[in-house]
Amino acid sequence: MGYDWWHAPIAGVPRFIEAFGDARLFWALIRTTIFVAVVLPLEFILGLGMALVFLGDFHGKRAFTSVILYPMMMPWVVVGLGFYLMFQYFGPVNLLLLKPLLGEGSMIDWFTNPVLAFIVIMIADIWQWTPLMFLIIYAGLAAVPRRLVEAAEVLGASPVRILRTVRLPLIKPLAVVALIIRGLEAFKVFDIVYIMTGGGPGVNSTEVISLYVYNLAIVYNNTSYACAVSLIIMVAIALVTRLAIRPLEVKVE
Amino acid sequence: MARKKGVTKTIVRYLLLIVISIWTLAPVTWMVSLSFKGPTEWYAPNLIPIRPIIDNYISLFIPTSPIGGSYFFTSITEPITKPLINSLIAAGLGTLFAVLVGFLAAYGVSRYRAGGTFVIFFTLLTRMLPGATFVAPLMVFYSSIRFIDTYAGLIMLYTAVTLTYAIWLMKGFLDEIPPEWEEAALLEGASPWTVLRKITIPLTKGGLAASALFIFILNWSEFLFALVISVTQVTTLPVQISKYVSAVGRMYGTEASLGLIATIPSVTLGYLIQKHLVTGFTFGRIR
Amino acid sequence: MPKLVVKNLRKVFGTFEAVKDVNFHVEEEETLCLLGPSGCGKTTTLRIIAGLEVPTSGEVFLDGVLVNDVPPQKRQIGLVFQDYAIFPHLSVFENIAYGLRVRKIPEAQMRKKVNDTAALIEVENILDVPGKKLGLSEMQRVAIGRSIVLDPKLLLLDEPLSNIDAKARERMRAELGKLQKEIGIATVYVTHDQLEAMTLADRIAVMRDGLIEQMGTTSEIYDNPRNLFVANFIGSPSMNLMDCEPVYSEGRVVLKSGDFSLDITEFAETIKSKSKGKELVLGIRPEDVSLDVDKTDPKAMEAEVQLVEPIGAKSIYHLKISGPAILSKDRAMPEVNVGNKVWATFNKNKLHVFDKKTEEAIL
Repeated sequence: MGYDWWHAPIAGVPRFIEAFGDARLFWALIRTTIFVAVVLPLEFILGLGMALVFLGDFHGKRAFTSVILYPMMMPWVVVGLGFYLMFQYFGPVNLLLLKPLLGEGSMIDWFTNPVLAFIVIMIADIWQWTPLMFLIIYAGLAAVPRRLVEAAEVLGASPVRILRTVRLPLIKPLAVVALIIRGLEAFKVFDIVYIMTGGGPGVNSTEVISLYVYNLAIVYNNTSYACAVSLIIMVAIALVTRLAIRPLEVKVE
Repeated sequence: MARKKGVTKTIVRYLLLIVISIWTLAPVTWMVSLSFKGPTEWYAPNLIPIRPIIDNYISLFIPTSPIGGSYFFTSITEPITKPLINSLIAAGLGTLFAVLVGFLAAYGVSRYRAGGTFVIFFTLLTRMLPGATFVAPLMVFYSSIRFIDTYAGLIMLYTAVTLTYAIWLMKGFLDEIPPEWEEAALLEGASPWTVLRKITIPLTKGGLAASALFIFILNWSEFLFALVISVTQVTTLPVQISKYVSAVGRMYGTEASLGLIATIPSVTLGYLIQKHLVTGFTFGRIR
Repeated sequence: MPKLVVKNLRKVFGTFEAVKDVNFHVEEEETLCLLGPSGCGKTTTLRIIAGLEVPTSGEVFLDGVLVNDVPPQKRQIGLVFQDYAIFPHLSVFENIAYGLRVRKIPEAQMRKKVNDTAALIEVENILDVPGKKLGLSEMQRVAIGRSIVLDPKLLLLDEPLSNIDAKARERMRAELGKLQKEIGIATVYVTHDQLEAMTLADRIAVMRDGLIEQMGTTSEIYDNPRNLFVANFIGSPSMNLMDCEPVYSEGRVVLKSGDFSLDITEFAETIKSKSKGKELVLGIRPEDVSLDVDKTDPKAMEAEVQLVEPIGAKSIYHLKISGPAILSKDRAMPEVNVGNKVWATFNKNKLHVFDKKTEEAIL
């Protein structure tokens, strides 16, 4: 390292134009979007489901809650490592789940197939962050005033109906904020992808946007282009968030 | 009739809880199992090792020692003591500086509206962007001031990255203390520093501690930037893990034991601040 | 057949006995008021009737049917909470329609019912307003409308006027009374405000510490309080109560308290037979203490005016009659001032005497 950057020639605008014709960038964006589009709703629904299971009092509630929370506290690379180990060809998912259930020959080589590998990555993310959604949604549900639930009961509503017509509508603003925050983080995913597939199999079949920029800057040493892409992403995200959050913020207020 | 419905509901609930617990505990259980298994069992599905060993843990510190009685080849030849210490130093000092600077900044923003709305939006923005977008300029900058692979570089980076989190979190806690109390003390002639020392800090101690612990967890888990600027000297634990995974000669057991060791500090601290986790991860927007 | 029958109701929370032994019944179209101070168990009783609490023992009958095991959803009772519990995210229309939708009433019929009820409670022009934007009195009307649109068998109201400020309260009280007459559903009403109880209820049950102290019509309770608690609770200003003891001499019976004495020889028999001890409490309502500037009644007692509280057409006079302080509520006499002497007469027909220990009425 140690280039003399002050005196390096300016690469100029052509870099930005290059970005628009870059297929690999395009695919990285698509993959990342698909990732967020799958992971976010699933985390929300599973978190909601878990919150419903936890609603009300029961023995061991505190213990179960503690257990459920720890995925959030693990370093992201270890989560990736853990799932990488589990989905190895001779790992427990294949040996304990698929073989006994679906018989010999149903074992899958997860990481040689880009789609399957991507699925494992998504599973890891869901595993780690569903508890966060659970906590947020649970707090919201618990905050619904008891009186309203009782009023609905007296009016004849069944527990399911109460959930649908009273509880869920009242946590909507909370849910929106949770989705936005988690969505932004999901877009930045890097650690688990790097650990589990490094972008592969192949060169870039599971490459997400963070990984692509990283590769550009470090592996290919194409610093100027990496910066150009970074800037484009920055502007895009800033614009999208500014546009999306403003109306939502007003509504929540 | 109401009796019966209650029983089914309870059974279903506990069933679901058990399913959820199994799902949650699965990865760690497998890693624990692997970490005590010898190489012969690494590809076997049994949860409980037939011949449990602790060599996986030992070989982390003495990489050339035998595992399960036989020598196993891997391209990793350094013990993990250095990365472990590096992580502690980087996360520890990074957190310390982030909290110190962040607290003062948060105080300014909270009490004196320093920076106005721009500061708020800006800090939010930096959190929104993928870390990778900063990698290229970071490399350029660091290589020109020769901060690559140095402790100073890593610590400075960690401080900077978590600074916005620190400001956000502590601003939230500071906002909860009515400024009137501080103003009353100021009116009585106390200097701003005394006010901080005697009033503000004791009142927000809990929140500050929680913020500090949360930021430590973030720094401890940080991967991308450590990966980028470390070469041999300041590799942190997460980086070391990635080296193991991509090494020639996969050693499942050792990877598992390393991973588990890496989780201990963050999970322990996480449980300490359990209540504040949500605040941290949602920038306090929710709570 | 009475619409609601409550028998031997008892409810215990941990070690606290909120309701000890409550019995009453409510007839069709009748309004019963559970009146009492906070913590006397009236709200708990109401919640048990609604099905939101399960009694530790005792029975609740609706239309003659035992409903202890019936969940609140199926009891067909209307309940208006103290804080109204309007669904903030639904419009007024949807709030009222909620129960109808639960019962899957066809759309057209539902609309008509909601509109009719809305007209009754005068909320037609705010049907689209979301619940969280309503004012307190609007919320109350919507809460009532929400319940009555379902034609419930019984209507329960928990302190409906507590949240409203004093001025609006008068108006709401009148509106509520009018509404009740129009709707005609059997109603149970919980309150700690005795004025509310007296104006709105057909019968009142005065409660204290989980028990009904006395039950009866408004006039029964007012004129013949069974014990000290009821006597003191009802009436504004409260009944004058004075410790005293009976003195028997020369065939005459006199109640004495310090220098104060009141000849009650006409009740000698009752006093002698019913009083168990020598400690009695004399009670007389301020309205029954009449004042005159001159001694027109030979039996009148001399009283010194300590304070005058003008309240419009009448005034409340704080008097001292040979020692004890007595309140009198009589016509306003602007010429009477502090320090003046007036002549007070107790209406003998409205005397109450209580045994100090048992607190029960003897007269």
